[in-house]
Amino acid sequence: MIEVRGLAKSFGALQVVENVSFVARDGEITGLIGPNGAGKTTMFRLISTVMRPDRGSMLVDGIDAVKNPLPARRRLGVLPDVRGLYTRLTAREHLRYFGELHGIPRRELAARIDELIRTLRMEDFIDRRTKGFSRGQQMKVALGRALIHRPHNIMLDEPTNGLDVATSRSVRDLLRQFRDEGRCVLLTSHIMQEVAALADRIVVLADGGIVLDGTPAELRRATGLHELEEIFMAAISGPPPDLVGQTALAVGQ
Amino acid sequence: MSAILTVFRKETIDHLRDRRSILVAMIYPLMGPFLLGLMFFFVGGSMRVNDAKTLFVPVVHAESAPNLIRYLQKRGASVRWLPEEARQLVISGRLPFALVLPETPAASAGGPLPVRLLTNPSRFDSIVATGRLMDLLNAYQHETLRDRLSASGLSPGIMDVLAIDQENIGRSAGPAVILLTMIPPFLIFTLFTGGVHVALDATCGERDRGSFEPLMMNPVTRIQVLTGKLGATIVFTLMALAVQAIAFWVMLHVVPRESLGLIEPPGAWRVALVVSVCLPIVVFAAATQLLISAVVRSMKEAQTYLGLLPLIPGLAGMVLALAPVQAQPLLATIPTFGQTLLMGQLVRSEAISWTFVGITAVATLVSTGLLLMLGFRLYEREEILFPQ
Repeated sequence: MIEVRGLAKSFGALQVVENVSFVARDGEITGLIGPNGAGKTTMFRLISTVMRPDRGSMLVDGIDAVKNPLPARRRLGVLPDVRGLYTRLTAREHLRYFGELHGIPRRELAARIDELIRTLRMEDFIDRRTKGFSRGQQMKVALGRALIHRPHNIMLDEPTNGLDVATSRSVRDLLRQFRDEGRCVLLTSHIMQEVAALADRIVVLADGGIVLDGTPAELRRATGLHELEEIFMAAISGPPPDLVGQTALAVGQ
Repeated sequence: MSAILTVFRKETIDHLRDRRSILVAMIYPLMGPFLLGLMFFFVGGSMRVNDAKTLFVPVVHAESAPNLIRYLQKRGASVRWLPEEARQLVISGRLPFALVLPETPAASAGGPLPVRLLTNPSRFDSIVATGRLMDLLNAYQHETLRDRLSASGLSPGIMDVLAIDQENIGRSAGPAVILLTMIPPFLIFTLFTGGVHVALDATCGERDRGSFEPLMMNPVTRIQVLTGKLGATIVFTLMALAVQAIAFWVMLHVVPRESLGLIEPPGAWRVALVVSVCLPIVVFAAATQLLISAVVRSMKEAQTYLGLLPLIPGLAGMVLALAPVQAQPLLATIPTFGQTLLMGQLVRSEAISWTFVGITAVATLVSTGLLLMLGFRLYEREEILFPQ
């Protein structure tokens, strides 16, 4: 479970994240959505502990990620938007590198790599250097190394960005599988249909703060709108006249 | 410790597969020995030819001094009569020198014969040939003076003030010394270039391709990651140093060194000592490269600064080659400068002071420690992970 409380981050005079609080629960897929520049990537970087917040706290399975980032990282698997692969290493070497950095014993690591090869269907390219990989292959390698330590909490930034239909579908199936295993899944996406189809809970971020938070049913009830895209547009452009007084900030809380 | 080893192993494998890293570490270091070898070969070759061959003496108005001409011929020189335009022939390099005698013998009546020697010191063959002619002219003067003193009833011994007996006890002499003194700047240059591509790629490159961020999402500290990368940079710098040291050693054993006065080329032990003296600089250079990579905003900016970096210590070495200074303890405390002095002494087969060696090593390692402390602080900054 990932709990974010009163998180704030600024770069110079620019306040990117301001007093953000939400919870991504175990056994649920939480969709973090927002327009460009809303602060989603910064939120991801803060939760994954590569950035320190100015204020606020983050708990990953109860571990204070600000004070103890290393134990928190052991509980987190993160797929960043930029996959960042090493073109001279093979896909298998990527998985092994990150597995070794997590201190996984050699024999166990080999078994986990084999398991990921099967899960992510990487058999055809696992021993090829990643130079020239398709976007789907790159995503699988990046996802594989994020999952090598079997994290309980999985964060994915635009997981299906640039993928073909078949690969996108297999990624969505995989995320549902993680949820069914009781893991906590937090994802961002620009594709509203995807979030609507996957997310058990939706958090809308705009101008560095949370403007909506709840299950799809709760959001529909609170806004009186049916389509997620309409709800999203209403939330980020400010409450239209007929929603004044109804728009529930942090509906689910 | 295992995280450091993991990063180190990954970086080493990654860069052993990188053509540019291998080129910089294994091929570029051969350029110095190759260039210096060419200089030994051509300079030595021209000297050897001059020693072996008959000395040709082009003379203008040779008829004005028949005694001198006869003397030169008696000593094996081949005299060539020249027309007046000798000056042009010397400047163009077609003649190494020209001896210009007065137009008429009368000009020399009662006094010394005015002899003009046209030389072109910008050409190495001219310097050598002129030296041989000067020896002959001095000998002619000496012998003629002795004859005149004998004819006057005086003892020829009164003209000898000094009986000079020069014995060269250095292990190298002549042009070889100048060429050998160029080895330390080449080595310093290599120390600051050998691992540069690894240092660049492991920091700026990692950031630009977006792989730094996922790397730092692992349960490792930035100090561990940086230490692993430092280790890989050191390995590639050591490879470059080893390649160049071996190449210099081989070069000194195959070039025509006798003609340059290099009596004995530095042995394997001396080469090992040179490499040992360089070891603290290996770490110093790697730390400097990683530090520069940490403060710059892009790969291009880093390439510019890191391209200029070797010139600073390298130029100091070139200055030392042209204007040698004594090894003072204070100089030993300047990283790379003290080592340049030491390497100069070692390649010239001179004795070295172990105290000086100790001071240079400690001073350089202390400087390296300070650089690394600063580097670790810089790598803790958030912006180091993300492309600007």
